[in-house]
Amino acid sequence: MIAGDSITVRLGGRAILQSAYVDAVPGKITVLVGRSGAGKTTLFEILVGRRRPDGGQVRWNGEQMSRPSLPLLARRGLFYHPDRPWLATSLTAADHFALLGRPLVDDRLDTTAWLHRRVGDLSGGELRLTELALGLALAPTVALLDEPFRGLEPRRREQVAAALRLLAERGTAVLYADHDVESVRRTADRLFSMEQGATRLVEGFRERPLHEWYHAWPR
Amino acid sequence: MWLTSRLFQSYLRRFLLLWIAGKIANAATASIVKLPPLAFRPGTELIVCAFEVAVLVAFIRRANEDILLGNIGLRVSVALAPLVLLHFALSLALSLFA
Repeated sequence: MIAGDSITVRLGGRAILQSAYVDAVPGKITVLVGRSGAGKTTLFEILVGRRRPDGGQVRWNGEQMSRPSLPLLARRGLFYHPDRPWLATSLTAADHFALLGRPLVDDRLDTTAWLHRRVGDLSGGELRLTELALGLALAPTVALLDEPFRGLEPRRREQVAAALRLLAERGTAVLYADHDVESVRRTADRLFSMEQGATRLVEGFRERPLHEWYHAWPR
Repeated sequence: MWLTSRLFQSYLRRFLLLWIAGKIANAATASIVKLPPLAFRPGTELIVCAFEVAVLVAFIRRANEDILLGNIGLRVSVALAPLVLLHFALSLALSLFA
């Protein structure tokens, strides 16, 4: 599956990422948690080749990728959901499913209601659910999602969490980034904490008090 | 599949507008230096075509649609390659008619 190892990024003399490591495991939901600006999006962009690191490597099934790119990774089964809208606003949701060549067979996220409306006319929540529904339709081997719950009301958050769980149960390696450290404790099977550009795998994150392993949390 | 998709058709529409704009600019420049305005000059066509594609790529990247293309395994350059052929075909056809 996908892994970023010893990833380092410097910007204007400041280290954005410092030898960061993250990976995704088949059948598990792995969460990268950290405050806004901690470097989560930068790390994800490096994993899918949208940004070049100053150091470190991206691996796919253990093989080092010299120049990872989203189209190449997508052909190997990766789905990438960035933290900003990425669908074509002039097209309908149905057009997007047609583009993927994957019909909407499992409407777990209730997207049928707005399937034939232009994406540009959808609300922020509807748009986010449509993007995620496309990811589900692709049945990826790796799903990389940057803040998939952002802007969703509680009921929708539950739907998305259930959809991610279903993906993992089908064998997908789910890796998502979030800043809501309390809610990820309920969803995650594995958890990486990210602070000041560095990551660490946290053991026992459900049982241990937050301040013990998440230094950004007030004591 | 890609060529018949609604997304490619939307790029095709935008590219045709860019081709018309490029052709007008090219013809105007040629008239100033007293060259046949609609003649097919491969070097000039290549430069104009590169400019048209660059503008379209900028639109695509600005709307994050390169991520959409990426998620279906398509590089932007591959997705837009048919439009390059279209540019040369249209320009050649126009020069023959003119």
